[in-house]
Amino acid sequence: MEILVQTLADGLVIGAFYSLIALGYTMVFGIIKLLNFAHGDLYMLGAFVGYSLLSMIGGGDSGMGLFGILVVLLLTMVIVGIAGMGIERIAYRPLLLAPRLSILITAIGVSLFLENGAMIAWGAQYQVYPLQLSHAGINLFGATITYTQIGLVLISALLMLGLHLFINRTLYGKAMRAIAHDQTACQLMGINVHKVIGLTFFIGASLAAGAGTMAGAYYGTVNFMMGFIIGLKAFTAAVLGGIGSIPGAMLGGLLLGLMETAGTFVFGGSWKDVVAFSLLILILVLKPTGIMGEKVTERM
Amino acid sequence: MKKWGSVVVAALLSLSLAVAGCANQGQGAADANEILVGVLLPVTGNNATDGKDMQNAIEMAVKKVNDSGGVLGKKLKIEVADDGCDPQMATTAANKLVSQNVVAVVGGYCSGATLPSSGVFKNANIPMIVPAANSAKLPAQGYDTLFLINGLTPDQAQTAADYMAANQAKKVALIHDNSAYAKDLADFAKAAVEKSGGTVIAYEAINPEEKDFSALVTKLKGLQPDATYFTGYYAAGGLLVKQFKQKAVPGLFLVGDGSFSEDVIKIAGADNAEGLLITATPTAEFIEGAEAFTTEYKQTYNNLAPGPFSALSYNAVNLLADALKRANSTERDAIKKALKETKDFQALGQTISFNAQNTLDTSNFAVLKVTGGKFILAK
Repeated sequence: MEILVQTLADGLVIGAFYSLIALGYTMVFGIIKLLNFAHGDLYMLGAFVGYSLLSMIGGGDSGMGLFGILVVLLLTMVIVGIAGMGIERIAYRPLLLAPRLSILITAIGVSLFLENGAMIAWGAQYQVYPLQLSHAGINLFGATITYTQIGLVLISALLMLGLHLFINRTLYGKAMRAIAHDQTACQLMGINVHKVIGLTFFIGASLAAGAGTMAGAYYGTVNFMMGFIIGLKAFTAAVLGGIGSIPGAMLGGLLLGLMETAGTFVFGGSWKDVVAFSLLILILVLKPTGIMGEKVTERM
Repeated sequence: MKKWGSVVVAALLSLSLAVAGCANQGQGAADANEILVGVLLPVTGNNATDGKDMQNAIEMAVKKVNDSGGVLGKKLKIEVADDGCDPQMATTAANKLVSQNVVAVVGGYCSGATLPSSGVFKNANIPMIVPAANSAKLPAQGYDTLFLINGLTPDQAQTAADYMAANQAKKVALIHDNSAYAKDLADFAKAAVEKSGGTVIAYEAINPEEKDFSALVTKLKGLQPDATYFTGYYAAGGLLVKQFKQKAVPGLFLVGDGSFSEDVIKIAGADNAEGLLITATPTAEFIEGAEAFTTEYKQTYNNLAPGPFSALSYNAVNLLADALKRANSTERDAIKKALKETKDFQALGQTISFNAQNTLDTSNFAVLKVTGGKFILAK
């Protein structure tokens, strides 16, 4: 029981990070059919921007309460969100009508640019976050669940809930869904397509940045390559859930996180990715569109 | 300057423009009054901290040799190439050094990257002195160009097993990070632990690119180990130490010399790192007679403490200078012969003589313990 609860809790935290990043992948794919391989690096950028902000406001000792951390988190999300919009404006928009392959290669270029740029700006070495989150927690059936873990999952859940409401209840959300459906028709109906695409990048980038800052504070170290592996994993999560589907990305991320922790437990650390990816293949064989990706024509 | 150079190299490599990499360095052009020595280290990436530190020590040694008149009437000049601790990058970097016609090479930090690069230098008949990498697979290749001045992996595994046995740690968990070096050390540790009457209750691997090891930590906690030995590098090592403490896994925690770095304490947090044990070759700070080196290093590099392999790197350059003098030539075969004949060369913390395999006659490993946020020799 203790092991089960602990595995569940740990898997949930990893899964929450995967989900937040997978959302950006899936939204961008849904709206312009681009696999934005630079997306994992926006997570890295978020971690570094958060790192710099926290260092600036004084090391983040106990003096700065939860409020300060939340302000940094929001500020980071806005800054990286704007960076995400800038990337779309400079690197992707001119290629929107070009063959899909060109824009895919551009995404890889942007990814390398961000990685090496971060290396020049912040150095090649591991940086230790100026903030160490508390390890205190509650005891549930013998398993320790820290307040930090609960907080991380709660913040992630709030962000995802906010996104869900935004997509389904607002006019811009409606415009996004419409563009995913048929870009040309939207243009003909007078929707400012570019603006909505920009907004999509903003939201995707800021969610990844939020995950990056939280991961930095949770694990304690950041480095310029940290976005690579997690970007791949989040992409996997998006495919698992059904790429283009927002609930699918959330579910895919959580599932992948849980499968990895369970895989480690049952088969050992070196097998966890094998377990996770075998399940991925199995699910895709049985359901090629991913778990939630049934309505292929109507993404998002 | 240094930093910018490595950034350029890394950027070029990542764009796979290896050819441009050579042009970029302007061939390093050794004129008649210089002896060009290749330096192959990870100056970018996960292991850049140790790589830079070794580069610093090498530069210090070179300056010292040159200030005291150089070698054979010439000055030593180093040409740094970045192996990024990656087999492919290392091969490219090694080829670059060969094309620049270096006389000898000092370098090799990750065994995984040193295995292929040592082959490149063997083919070009260039002697290579390795200050850090110490997988048993390196001498097993039987290259007559390859000289290792760090103790070997089996020696380190034995040191760890002896310490655990002496502290009544019978149930041992081993974790490596899938790098050639860490897996090697874990394998030797497994054999050594079993030989001394202990049992290996878990033999696990982690992916050092990831940050969350909670599933593994939970699993080990259920097994209640007397001791856990992580054989990989410091970035993952620090995080593991932290997550072990957070989940309160019982038993001793040991790490191999890949995690012997101030960074492991920084990453884990001083509280979590307290009591951490490290099997390593002692750094300059623990070596008698190396006080002058430590002071000078700190003065030269903004009060930075010399890292785990700085003394060894410093020794490597001095050994090379000594061999050049004894060979009285920059002919590769002559240097090779002189290195091979090294007998009781007095260096910081070690006396270097090579055995038939071109490795150290006597190993130099010890167990250190983190106490009050600092490393001290463990009893």
